[in-house]
Amino acid sequence: MKRLSYILSVLVALSMLLAACGTPVTEAPAQATDAPAATDAPAATDAPVAELEGTLNVWAFTNEMKTMAVAFQGRHPKVNVVYTMIPMTNGEYQTKVKAAAGTADSPDVVALEAAFVKEWVESDLLADLNELLPLTEELQTYPAVVEVGTYDGVTKAYSYQATPGAFFFRRSIAKECLGTDDLVEVQAMVADMDKFTETAAKIKECGTGDYFTVGTGGEMFLPFLSNRSEPWIVDGSLVIDPKIVEYVQFAKMMRDNGYESGATQWTEGWFAGMNDTLKDADGTPKKVFSYFLPTWGLPYVLSPNAKSADGTSDTTGDWAMINGPLSYQWGGTWVGALEGSPNSELAKEFVKFVALDEENLTNWATGVYTNEYLKAIDPTTPDDQAQAAGDFVSSQVVVEKITSSFDDSTLATFLGGENSYGAFAAAAPSVNGALLTGSDDAIQRALNDPLAAYLSGTMTEAEMWAAWLDAVRNEFPDLVIPAAPVE
Amino acid sequence: MNLAKLKRNSTGYLFLAPFIIGFLIFGLYPVINTLTLSFTDATLMSKSSHFVGLANFKRLFADDVFMRAVGNTWLIWILNFIPQIGIALLLSVLFTSARLKIKAVGVWRAIYFLPNLLMPAAVAALFNALFAYYGPVNQFMVRADFLSEAMRFLESIWVTRGLVVFIQWWTWFGQTMIILMAGMTSIPLPLYEAAMVDGASVWQMFTRITLPLLKPILIFIFVTSLVGGMQMFDIPFLLTDGRGSPLSSIQTNNILMYMKFASSKGHIGAASSVGVLIFFMTSICALGIFYFLRDKDMDVTKPAKKSLFKKNTTRSQS
Repeated sequence: MKRLSYILSVLVALSMLLAACGTPVTEAPAQATDAPAATDAPAATDAPVAELEGTLNVWAFTNEMKTMAVAFQGRHPKVNVVYTMIPMTNGEYQTKVKAAAGTADSPDVVALEAAFVKEWVESDLLADLNELLPLTEELQTYPAVVEVGTYDGVTKAYSYQATPGAFFFRRSIAKECLGTDDLVEVQAMVADMDKFTETAAKIKECGTGDYFTVGTGGEMFLPFLSNRSEPWIVDGSLVIDPKIVEYVQFAKMMRDNGYESGATQWTEGWFAGMNDTLKDADGTPKKVFSYFLPTWGLPYVLSPNAKSADGTSDTTGDWAMINGPLSYQWGGTWVGALEGSPNSELAKEFVKFVALDEENLTNWATGVYTNEYLKAIDPTTPDDQAQAAGDFVSSQVVVEKITSSFDDSTLATFLGGENSYGAFAAAAPSVNGALLTGSDDAIQRALNDPLAAYLSGTMTEAEMWAAWLDAVRNEFPDLVIPAAPVE
Repeated sequence: MNLAKLKRNSTGYLFLAPFIIGFLIFGLYPVINTLTLSFTDATLMSKSSHFVGLANFKRLFADDVFMRAVGNTWLIWILNFIPQIGIALLLSVLFTSARLKIKAVGVWRAIYFLPNLLMPAAVAALFNALFAYYGPVNQFMVRADFLSEAMRFLESIWVTRGLVVFIQWWTWFGQTMIILMAGMTSIPLPLYEAAMVDGASVWQMFTRITLPLLKPILIFIFVTSLVGGMQMFDIPFLLTDGRGSPLSSIQTNNILMYMKFASSKGHIGAASSVGVLIFFMTSICALGIFYFLRDKDMDVTKPAKKSLFKKNTTRSQS
């Protein structure tokens, strides 16, 4: 008897141990059914399609797309979208998704940023979504957006955004230092890199060293990057385009001449320049004349940061937007469905809704998705979840329809009356999607540290190139690495 | 008869089973799997992988990136361990001293231990903000005239390394001190009383009574700190850019392994080879510590001068 109870208790302990590690994995897919949607062909119309139901796991690197997830539930009330946000500060998101793909914890839909979307499109982890292609013609999705999501003739990811870049400047500083804040005249003063440099010198002189032309050299990386003639990797070897060399020398020149503030991008000091609260260590106030930011930078970065945290300083209305010295594109979020997901129909439907649904894109761009709107669908929506008007969408059809609605929007007020949407619409068709490759993220991230050392003078240019090439070699065991541009 | 014996023994095994099974699944299996992976070119982004022999290991030694990471790890660990054990020893001697009788020892102990409760991620993020170019440290230093102009702290190799060392020291010396104090309070008081009667000085008591009896505890601290130090990751990862910036000066073994794992295609084969080498390096060093700090009385039969004294104490310990 005694022995039996020993055995029993051990068995109980064992089963608890196994139960603890076994359960969470199997739950989610069990309740998902994909039968109802199977009969439905590519119908992009408004009426709720058949009766979609099930649970969909969506992973993303910001909370932005959660708004669409809630709206999707509004369209399909029986669907439950489980939204997981993992930040990508030091590449956490990329690593986490990679590790989860193909396992039982794999999400059904993933958001992919421009820097690593190609990695995924080139892999065999994303499902073939070619059947959604006819919709891109209907909506006239910008070709570059589709091109990025396509590899070997198979389109696997779509985007709701197009992300041409722009140049934002402070009207007050332009008037003070350049004598005008007229968009055409200022554009002429920064029309190319040489003129940009001349203007930078003028601004420094006018502010007696307290005015910087840009917050950091880092934000000029994307303009140079977009103007390369070749992608990073061609036929298995690394290509160091002359534009990259030019960028490095340009960034050094900006730092050495004191044309940039020396802050690090995406840190306190960089943001402080946007609301005029930047102070150096002595307490002397400093001003930043301009920021290189793309479409999404206006609603997500510049306008939210134009007011200082204590509310004492506000630069709203003092900004203007022009093309700047180089046309470029920066970032963007693509969505793809994972191959082998048990909810593939639902996942496809979600991708279609997010990126290729006229009504959704219109609502997204025009500020229909307010917090109240989302709360009516899902009362548990967080209080700060909402989509303000102004994100630039990927469909030309939608863009043409809504551009005029921005003539007197809050963003137009922010830009002193300028319709940013129209300006982006003019720049969007020139965007080139062919330069992106699956290895961009790792190659570009490896450059940051050596470049920072070169800019602050702890490394020579030759040492910087060598350190960068070493780092790239370490991450890409099979890549052929050329000689450094400067030795 | 044999069957009965087996039955009796098997009860014991059954009780051990949960741990053994847990260890096999979560301990041994990953180690063996890592070892197998290190001989392949497996990546997370493709389903097939090939056996590549020692290619991953050869690549690690093809440039100085791996050796630099090993060097960084050792340097940061040693620079943090020496003051950590030194200060912890000093404080625990003071706190357990029968002569000084410091008041509210519990409060002090709790205060010194507190930093250990902080989340490493939060501490690293805090230091990153404090030492930013436009950060508060620069503002204070310049306004108080300690510096003539703002300094790029996190772009200086030695400042950044120093910060990592400081954070590691600051969060761990309290923990070490508590373990040491536990060890010291278990040393029977009569030994010290006898020594005092014999006219021993504080230093003599420390070196002849405290240290020898503390040896098992010291070995424990040494080995756990070494294992922890060789696996240092969160603080250096989060303090700068996650790649051991500036100039890879705080790129530790584990950061390098993580970088390989997190690289574009997720080269888990290459990452495993780093893990395997760290495993062997740590094992050899830990065994070395056990060997050099082993109880030498065990092999030396010749009674030393103080042997009577020592024997007594060992007996009372066990």
